[in-house]
Amino acid sequence: MDEAASQLERDHVHSVYERIAPYFNDSRYKAWPKVKQFLLEQEPGSIVADVGCGDGKYLHINEDIFKLGCDVCRPLVDSAWSRGHEVQLCDGLRLPYRDDCFDAVLSIAVIHHMSTKERRIRAIKEMARTLRVGGRIMIYVWAMEQKRRKFEKQDIFVPWNPNPPLSPALRQRGKGSQSISDGTTSNNKHRKVKSTSSMVDEGDSVGPSKQKQQRFWFFSRSLDSVLDFTSLTMSRSSSNTIQTPVNEAKESRSRRTSSRGLIRQMSSLFSSSSRTSLEEDVFISDPNDQVHKNNNRSSGNGNETSPVELVHDCSSVPLPDLVSYQRDQSTLEGHVEVDGKSSLKEPLQRQDSTVSLLESGELKGKSSEQLKDSCLRYYHVFREGELTQLIQNHVDELHVLHSYLDHANWYVVAEKVQVWKV
Amino acid sequence: MKLLTHNMLTSHVKGVTKGYPLIIKATEVKVNELEFNSQFVSRMIPKLEWGALIQAAEWLGQSQDLPSTLIPDYEKDEEFLRKVHRILLEVEVIEGSLQCPESGREFPISKGVPNMLLNEGE
Repeated sequence: MDEAASQLERDHVHSVYERIAPYFNDSRYKAWPKVKQFLLEQEPGSIVADVGCGDGKYLHINEDIFKLGCDVCRPLVDSAWSRGHEVQLCDGLRLPYRDDCFDAVLSIAVIHHMSTKERRIRAIKEMARTLRVGGRIMIYVWAMEQKRRKFEKQDIFVPWNPNPPLSPALRQRGKGSQSISDGTTSNNKHRKVKSTSSMVDEGDSVGPSKQKQQRFWFFSRSLDSVLDFTSLTMSRSSSNTIQTPVNEAKESRSRRTSSRGLIRQMSSLFSSSSRTSLEEDVFISDPNDQVHKNNNRSSGNGNETSPVELVHDCSSVPLPDLVSYQRDQSTLEGHVEVDGKSSLKEPLQRQDSTVSLLESGELKGKSSEQLKDSCLRYYHVFREGELTQLIQNHVDELHVLHSYLDHANWYVVAEKVQVWKV
Repeated sequence: MKLLTHNMLTSHVKGVTKGYPLIIKATEVKVNELEFNSQFVSRMIPKLEWGALIQAAEWLGQSQDLPSTLIPDYEKDEEFLRKVHRILLEVEVIEGSLQCPESGREFPISKGVPNMLLNEGE
């Protein structure tokens, strides 16, 4: 079981980040305010570890403390080092640090990539081991309870998607959202898309021809309860049509059910893709705000963006926030059958450019199929209270101080306490 | 890899009980000058395994006659703190490896980054 879990994380977490590493630059984004605050609160001279540091987004905050970062993804770690950060390559379940050596530990958007409860506990215990008594750990995980998204299951695969294109002006830091609007026609169209792709609409049903407009696929399954989940791997598809999810779903009624809602879910994400949030925050707090701002290029009619531009913009995908994903028509058809009924009535228009990206062959020699297959990230989304309970019930040495919902994430701050073993 | 980081690193190979400190085998070492902050250094010192730091500095030929046991009242000794500043923060291993003192397992350091990943079953 653990071996399978480990394999899944390699295929659907580690290797995905390795492949997409060249295209994103997490450190461009503003630090999440609560994380920044946590770092600024540390006493001068503190030693802080950022476990799962990615490309070192938080390693520049607070000059008065010593920070080191580690991650399992080589390209990201190298990228952090090249910016002057102190980093190591290691596995979150086997940290190469001595006991009690850190004053604080950060775990931002990491634990949700662990595919079993046991591994999530181990990861937290391992970090707690390196923390000194009295030291604090901050853990962020993706929340199941989100305004914009409804998940029917907690264990999901989230496609990594290059963001929709930015205009050249927008790409520069500090340029506002005003530059992105390129026409009321597309604007209206977009809104229409938005309104018809709202998240949960159980009674909704559309005919097959409409379903073909569905451009998302997405599925979920509980890894803790299913042993043979390696069969979920979505690679091996040789044609444009992604066969695996279809077949998978045909095998399992329960999965079919779950995919339906998730497809809807994904479709709603699409309409509020986080373009203007790029320079603001990885978290997108207000879905409406996003939708209103991001109104331009979702319309295919007005979208002249070239694949090349898209490739460039891959670097600005806000990770690990969920991003929308688009599929070409053939992919869609397959999944619509799975879906049975889709809530999406309007075509979502951005797909062409995205598919072009995927198939442009520019992505470091990876074939489009490889890229698509490799960019499904595994997440375990946390329910309210789950992270706190995980710590309280299984990690004696940590005492939870706070637990909050911050945008689309749960976070906990916990303090290491002395545990007297009898 | 700075020696301050080395001070935190330990061998995590399965079954190893004395994996600290990791033996440094450096093929490329750099010294990057950094602004000296006496308060920062003196606050850092109590958090260190002092013996391991001096050992590490010796491996790199950088010990600058620093004592193998910590001196009292080091907070007021700027010359001492400057030396500590140098080995903690300025000296960096760019290429080489770290070796587990018990198992002999070597962890390569390349482009300044120690690769502490273990293989299955290690």
